[in-house]
Amino acid sequence: MSVEEVCRKFQTDLVQGLTNAKAAEFLLRDGPNALTPPPTTPEWVKFCRQLFGGFSILLWTGAILCFLAYAIQAATEDEPAGDNLYLGIVLTAVVVITGCFSYFQEAKSSKIMESFKNMVPQQALVIREGEKVQINAEEVVAGDLIEVKGGDRIPADIRVTSAHGCKVDNSSLTGESEPQSRSPDCTHDNPLETRNVAFFSTNCVEGTARGIVICTGDRTVMGRIATLTSGLETGKTPIAVEIEHFIHIITGVAVFLGVTFFILAIILGYTWLEAVIFLIGIIVANVPEGLLATVTVCLTLTAKRMAKKNCLVKNLEAVETLGSTSTICSDKTGTLTQNRMTVAHMWFDNQIHEADTTEDQSGAAFDKSSVTWLSLSRVAALCNRAQFKAGQDSVSILKRDVAGDASESALLKCIELSCGSVRMMRDKNKKVAEIPFNSTNKYQLSVHETEDPNDNRYLLVMKGAPERILDRCSTIMLQGKEQPMDEEMKEAFQNAYMELGGLGERVLGFCHLLLPEDQYPKGFAFDTDDVNFQTDNLCFVGLMSMIDPPRAAVPDAVGKCRSAGIKVIMVTGDHPITAKAIAKGVGIISEGNETVEDIAARLNIPVSQVNPRDAKACVIHGSDLKDLSQDQMDDILRNHTEIVFARTSPQQKLIIVEGCQRLGAIVAVTGDGVNDSPALKKADIGVAMGISGSDVSKQAADMILLDDNFASIVTGVEEGRLIFDNLKKSIAYTLTSNIPEITPFLFFIIVNIPLPLGTITILCIDLGTDMVPAISLAYEAAESDIMKRQPRNPSRDKLVNERLISIAYGQIGMIQALGGFFSYFVILAENGFLPSQLVGIRLNWDDRSLNDLEDSYGQQWYRKKIKIILIDMYACIYVDMFLALICGASKRRNKILIFGLFEETALAAFLSYCPGMDVALRMYPLKPTWWFCAFPYSFLIFVYDEARKLILRRNPGGWVEKETYY
Amino acid sequence: MASTEDKAANKENVSSWKDSIYNPRTGELLGRTASSWALILLFYLVFYCFLAGMFALTMWVMLLTLDDYVPRYRDRVPEPGLVIRPNSLDIAFNKSDSKNYKTYVNHLESFLQRYNDSMQENNDDCISGEYYMQDDGEMTKKVCPFRRTFLSLCSGLSDTDFGYQEGKPCVLLKMNRIIGLKPIGDPYINCTIKKDHPVQMHYFPSEGRIDKMYFPYYGKKAHENYVQPLVAVKLLLTKEDYNKELAVECRVEGTNLRNNDERDKFLGRVTFRIKVVE
Repeated sequence: MSVEEVCRKFQTDLVQGLTNAKAAEFLLRDGPNALTPPPTTPEWVKFCRQLFGGFSILLWTGAILCFLAYAIQAATEDEPAGDNLYLGIVLTAVVVITGCFSYFQEAKSSKIMESFKNMVPQQALVIREGEKVQINAEEVVAGDLIEVKGGDRIPADIRVTSAHGCKVDNSSLTGESEPQSRSPDCTHDNPLETRNVAFFSTNCVEGTARGIVICTGDRTVMGRIATLTSGLETGKTPIAVEIEHFIHIITGVAVFLGVTFFILAIILGYTWLEAVIFLIGIIVANVPEGLLATVTVCLTLTAKRMAKKNCLVKNLEAVETLGSTSTICSDKTGTLTQNRMTVAHMWFDNQIHEADTTEDQSGAAFDKSSVTWLSLSRVAALCNRAQFKAGQDSVSILKRDVAGDASESALLKCIELSCGSVRMMRDKNKKVAEIPFNSTNKYQLSVHETEDPNDNRYLLVMKGAPERILDRCSTIMLQGKEQPMDEEMKEAFQNAYMELGGLGERVLGFCHLLLPEDQYPKGFAFDTDDVNFQTDNLCFVGLMSMIDPPRAAVPDAVGKCRSAGIKVIMVTGDHPITAKAIAKGVGIISEGNETVEDIAARLNIPVSQVNPRDAKACVIHGSDLKDLSQDQMDDILRNHTEIVFARTSPQQKLIIVEGCQRLGAIVAVTGDGVNDSPALKKADIGVAMGISGSDVSKQAADMILLDDNFASIVTGVEEGRLIFDNLKKSIAYTLTSNIPEITPFLFFIIVNIPLPLGTITILCIDLGTDMVPAISLAYEAAESDIMKRQPRNPSRDKLVNERLISIAYGQIGMIQALGGFFSYFVILAENGFLPSQLVGIRLNWDDRSLNDLEDSYGQQWYRKKIKIILIDMYACIYVDMFLALICGASKRRNKILIFGLFEETALAAFLSYCPGMDVALRMYPLKPTWWFCAFPYSFLIFVYDEARKLILRRNPGGWVEKETYY
Repeated sequence: MASTEDKAANKENVSSWKDSIYNPRTGELLGRTASSWALILLFYLVFYCFLAGMFALTMWVMLLTLDDYVPRYRDRVPEPGLVIRPNSLDIAFNKSDSKNYKTYVNHLESFLQRYNDSMQENNDDCISGEYYMQDDGEMTKKVCPFRRTFLSLCSGLSDTDFGYQEGKPCVLLKMNRIIGLKPIGDPYINCTIKKDHPVQMHYFPSEGRIDKMYFPYYGKKAHENYVQPLVAVKLLLTKEDYNKELAVECRVEGTNLRNNDERDKFLGRVTFRIKVVE
C-alpha cells in the first residue's frame, strides 16, 4: 500500500496529521493503544476459592453439622450445652481465617507484578493539526502521524513514510539480535519482513523516522501475540496437582472413617445426635486444618528467599515447579547471551586472536604489542560512527550506552578497552571525508588526517564485508610490514574467514592506505558522492569478528542443570549457525557430541546415510520443523539429548513446548521477547527476564529473573527441589498427629472410655502448637545430592505417597498415639481412676445427672470435677516435639526448628497454665511430672527414625528404602 | 530409553485398572507381590507386637508406682459435693399414681439395702461427735455403723413409700466420699425452698446432723464396708404446694466446707426441683 493510500484509509494528512477531533473519535472507536491485560478472575471469586477449596468443604460440613446438632439440642432440651455451638463457631472461624490467610498471601505475591508494570510509562510524539505534541502512548490512534528517534520505543505499528538512518531493534518480537534498518520502501510482501513497517513496542535504535500509525493496541503484531498468549489455557502447577492428590487422600480417609463410625455408632445404640457429634470429631481430627496455611507459608518463605537471589516469583505455586522441571527450553538472545555484540576474535598477522568476551573482562588477553594490531585498532576506531553517550565516565566501558550500530559499538568498546580513549584518537586524526555503509558497496570508508602533524598525507580507512575488502587490497600487513597479497595469504584469509564464520560470528574486514601526498595534497577536496580518490590497491590489515557472547554464568548453569537431570533445549529465532555456535559455547551441545550433519561431514557421507541414533545432538531449522509430523517431533525430542531449534516462530516455540509436555516432561521456558510469551505461558513455568524482558513476556511468565541471569534458574531448581523435600517433611510431621487425634475417638466409641481429647483441643494442636514446627521445617537445609539426582517423575514421585502415609500413620503416628494414651492412663490413674475401671465407664462419665461417680479408690466425684482431669493434649505435644527433631532429618542445625519447638512448648505451657483457660478451652494446669509421661515413646520414635535412616544410608536400595523412603 | 519405558508402563496402568487389584502376570495383588505383602505384614506384625509389649510394660511400671490405698493426687477433689437420692435433679410424680413414683421408691429402697440392720450390726458403735481416727498401722479399718433406722420416717421401714404416696416425699442427701476428709465444726444439712411462704421440712437424723465419727474415710480397700452418713429430708408439702415446681437448695452448714462457690453448684450444696401432681 502506498503512503497515499494509507493516508486516505485513515483520513489523515502526511504533514498535518490527524485533527484532534478525529483522534478523539478514533480513540473512542478503537480504545486506548495498550495491550489489554489477560482477563483476571474477580477478587471475590479468588477469595471464595480459598474459602471453599481444599479441606474447607470438610470443615464447613463439620461446622454445619455442629450448628445442626446445636439446633436439635436447643429444640429438644431445656438447657442445651453450648459445646456444639462454640465448636461450630470455632470451625467457621478457622475456615475463614485460613482462607483469608491464603488469600492475602496470594494477593501479596501478585501485587509485586502490578508494581512492576507501572514502572514503564510511555510517551509518544505525535503530529496533530500540524503541531508536535507529546502524549501518552495510550492515546495514540490509528492514522496518527508519529515521529520516532533513536532510543524511543515505537508506540504502535507504524507504516514508515520517511526515515533517516532509522534502525529498529526487533529482538523482542523476532529474537534477532541485530537492529534492522527501516525505510519508506516496501521490500517484502510479508508485513513482518518488510522494511517499511515498524512494530509496536520495538525499539528505535538510531536515526529518525516518521510514519502513520496503522494498528494500535491489541491489533498490533505484538498485541496479536499477546492475545494468543493470554488465550492459552495453562494447566495446574505440579504442586497444585500434588496438593489436590493429597487432599483427595485425606478427604477419602476422613469421609470413610467418619461414615464408618457414624454407622457403627448407630449400630452400637448411640443416638443420632451423638453419632453426628462423633462424625464431627472424626472429621476435625482427620483434617490437618493448619496444613494448607503451612504449605502457603513455606512457599512464601521460599519465594522470599528466591527474591533475595533475584528470582521474583509471580505465582506462589511456581516456586516448586522449577524443582520438578525436567526440560528447560531456553531462548538464546538475552537469556543465554548478553544481547550485546562483542568482538570475539581477530585475525591479523596470519593468526587468529581471541578477544575477551566475558562480562567482567576476566578472560585471556592477546598480544597487543604487534604493529599490525595498532593499525587494525586504528582502522576500527576511525572507520566507526558509534560513540559513547555523554556523562557515562563512571560506568565501566562495557556497560556504557552507545549511540550507533551494534557491530560498531562492539568495535568501539573493544578498542576503548584495549587501546584507551577512542575519542582522543579521533581528535588526533580528524575526519576529512566519509562514505557510510550501504548495502550495495558493503563497505564503509573514511579519510583522516594523520597523527603526525608533520605528515601531510591522508589516511584512508575502510571496513566491510571481508571478501569485498579483500578484492580491494593488493597488499597485506604482516608484523607491521606491508607485503604483497599472494595466493597463500588469500588461502589463509579464506581459512580464517571460514573458521570465524563457522563459529556463528559476524566477520568484518579492515584495510587502510596512506594516500600518497603528491596526488592528494593537504586540503584536497574529497568528494564522497562522486568518488574522486583511490579506493583499491589498499593494504589489508585484518579481520575482526563479533558475536553476541554467552553470559559468563551460563555454561556452568547448563552443566549443573544437566547433572541435575534436566534437559536443556535451545529455542531461538536466530540463525542456525549462530545458534549452534552459542549452544556449543554454553554446553547445550556438549563437547564431543555431533549432529547428524557433523557426522556426515566427518565421515564424508551424505546426511541421509547417517543413522540419526548416532547423533545425540541436533539442530533443527524452523522451516524443517514446519514439515514435521507429531510423531517425528516426539521422536526427535525423545531421542536427542541435546537439541537446538533455530529460526522458530512464536507458534513453533509453542509447539515445541507442547511436544515436551506430551512426553510427560515438566517444561520450563526462559525467554525475554514477545515471541517467547506464548511458550512462556504454555510452559509449566515460564521464566522471564527482568531487565531485558518485554512486558508481555513478564506478564506471561510465572517467574522473573531480576538480574537476567540464567544461573538464577539453577538456584530456582535447587530451591524448588528443596521445598518439595521440606514440604514432605512438613506434611509427614503434620499427618503424624492425626493418629493420636483420631484414635481417642475410635476408642471412645468402641470401648467406652472417657473422651481423652476434645474437638477444640484438636483444633488447638493443629492450628496452634503444630503449625510453627511444621513451618520451620521449610528452613531445613538441602541434602547434598539435591542437584545430582534426576528430576522427580510427576506420575510416580508424589508429594504424599503410600510410604509417607505408612510411616506417618502406621508407624510414627502409632507410637505417638500410644504415648498419648499412656499419658492419658497415667493422669487418670494418678487421680484415682485405674485403667481397668475406665473401659465402659463412659455412660456414667458423661451422665449429666450423675454426681457421685466412684473412682477406683472409693472416692466420689461430681460432674464438674470429672471433666477437670481430661487434659491429654500435652503429652501428645511432648511426643510431637521430639518427632519434629527427627523429621528434621539429616542436619539438625536448623535454628528455626529449634525455635519452633520452644514456641510449641511455650504455647502448650501457656494453654495449660494461663488462668481462665479452664473456662475457655477446658484445659487445666498440668503437673510437671505428667509432661514426662510420654518420654519413653518420644525416645522410641527418635531411636526408630534414626535407625531407619541409618539403614537407609548403609543399605541403599534395600527393602527398608523401598518401604519407608518417602 | 528410559522415558519410553515409563510411558509404556503408564499406558498399561491406565488401560487395565484391573491389574491394580490383581495382576496375573506379576502375581501382584493390590500392587504388591505375595512375598512383598508377606514381608510388609510381617514387619507390621512384629512392629505392633513390639509396641503392644512396650505399652504393656510402661503401663505395668506405672501401675507398680501407684499406691493401693490412696491415689497419688487428691487435689482435684479437695472438698465434697452434695448428692441426693433418688438420683435425679428433677423429681416429678403423681402422688395418686403408684406406678408414677415407683422408680423413685425402688431406687431409695435399693440404695438403703446397705444400711439394713443386718448389714450394720457387725459394726461396733463409735464415739459420737469425734473423728474415728485409725492411724495405728492396721491396714483394714473399722467402720462406724449407720443404721437405716436413724432415718426414722424416711427409712422406708414404717412407710414403704417414703412419703411419696401422701405427697410428702423423702429425699436422701449424702456428702461425696473424700479420702481423709475431716470437716471442722459440726456438719449439718440445711435445705431451703425459694418460695413466698416456707415449707415445713423434717430432717432425719434430727436437725440434719452428720456425725463426725464417720470421718475420715480411708479409701475403698482399707475401708471396705464403709457406709456414708445420710441425711433424709421429708418435705411436708401442703395442698397449695402441689402442681408447682419447687426449687430446693440444700447445703452443708456448720463447717469449713465451702458451700457457696459461685461457679460450682455442687460444691457443698445441691439444688434440685420437685413437683408433685395431685
